[in-house]
Amino acid sequence: MLIEFTLNYQPIAIEAPPDVTLLHLLRDHLNLTGAKEGCSVGECGACSVIMDGRLVNSCLVLAPQAHGSEIITIEGIHAPDGGPNDLQENFITYGAVQCGICIPGMVVAGEALLMRTLTPTRTEIRTALAGNLCRCTGYQQIVDAIEATAVQRRQAS
Amino acid sequence: MARFDYVRAHSIAEALQLLGEAGLISRPLAGGTDVMVFVRNEKPPFDRLVDISRVPEMKIIERRGDEVFIGAAVTFTEAEQNALLREVAGCLAEACRSVGGPAVRNAGTLGGNVANAAACADSLPALACLDAVAHVRSLTGERSFLLNELIQGANRTAIRPGELLTHFTFPVPPAGVRSAFLKLGRRNAQAISRLSMAAAGRLDAAGRVDYARLAPGAAMPRPQRFTEVEALLLGQAPTDELLAAAGAKTAEVMIGVTGRRWSTEYKEIAIQAMAEQTLRRVLCQ
Repeated sequence: MLIEFTLNYQPIAIEAPPDVTLLHLLRDHLNLTGAKEGCSVGECGACSVIMDGRLVNSCLVLAPQAHGSEIITIEGIHAPDGGPNDLQENFITYGAVQCGICIPGMVVAGEALLMRTLTPTRTEIRTALAGNLCRCTGYQQIVDAIEATAVQRRQAS
Repeated sequence: MARFDYVRAHSIAEALQLLGEAGLISRPLAGGTDVMVFVRNEKPPFDRLVDISRVPEMKIIERRGDEVFIGAAVTFTEAEQNALLREVAGCLAEACRSVGGPAVRNAGTLGGNVANAAACADSLPALACLDAVAHVRSLTGERSFLLNELIQGANRTAIRPGELLTHFTFPVPPAGVRSAFLKLGRRNAQAISRLSMAAAGRLDAAGRVDYARLAPGAAMPRPQRFTEVEALLLGQAPTDELLAAAGAKTAEVMIGVTGRRWSTEYKEIAIQAMAEQTLRRVLCQ
């Protein structure tokens, strides 16, 4: 069936079977492999995308449910020149990346939080990341990177 | 070849037409947090999913006279952030906040939580505590159920093929009633409840309990209020002894229904403490 939606700020129309997940549509039909398939049951957050302004697990969204939606994936999060944006720079600065598999989801979850508030407490940051598992970093550095980005964006705005 | 088809409903009337269409088996789809996990592992027992997640009439939360109306397609995030629910149904707002993580709460719905009817579903004890009624519609009419009538056991409900759980209603609790929810899981987020507890209560001018509701979750085959515990509380001052007795009674009622099983040694102590703590929050703070 024809699925039309806004993907990373661009309108898109794609023919796909009705029974595939949004994650499958992104990775296998659109070649956007930033979102990862970790657990496939909504526990790990590696497939996180932003759908109509809210963080969702793309493994639990049926692809045709995206019809008419605005979807932002990790591929849509970057600086104007295509390089890392401030949040991604802070992930590097604060040592928030080790093996990397959770990082697209972590950045997407971080952006979903920062879209709603630039004054999150550390507890709020942890709550925002509660559905994203990282087995390397211990989360501390990821929380630091998001907190620093919030401070910087607050100062810049 | 797709294993099933997809169609989106834009109104309850359209959803009922699609669900009732002869010649193929259709099932509702909302947040997908249970359905998508199910179809990953099992052969789908349906031909088509009818997406009801954007039906406007099913997204409403409002006060209607002496009742609160909640559409079945309201997400956990929408419920927990709703000012009316936070004010009059704290236990339900807290239960919704305790579900999964943010992404699961942004997608999963109250209607889905109830219709899936997992014994551990977090909204069930809160809805039971509020005496919520579930409203189910089909092309031929509407049926209404208390939660312990709708839910017949783990993953079993009275909802028939062609029917749609459209909304819940519950009476606005009397002024001054406070309610709370407590969950016991293996960690703070993304946890399946081992046990949960919803309670509501109020003290009169003399400091005695004049309103009490208690409904445990993940403890019973069907969600229900523990009226024996409520009766023990009414008319009494909420002393440590009374709360301890209420906790002990809660464990006794649970074991009376479930019998002693492998998990009882743990659950007996845990449910006792949880009842005590939840009642303390609504009666003593």
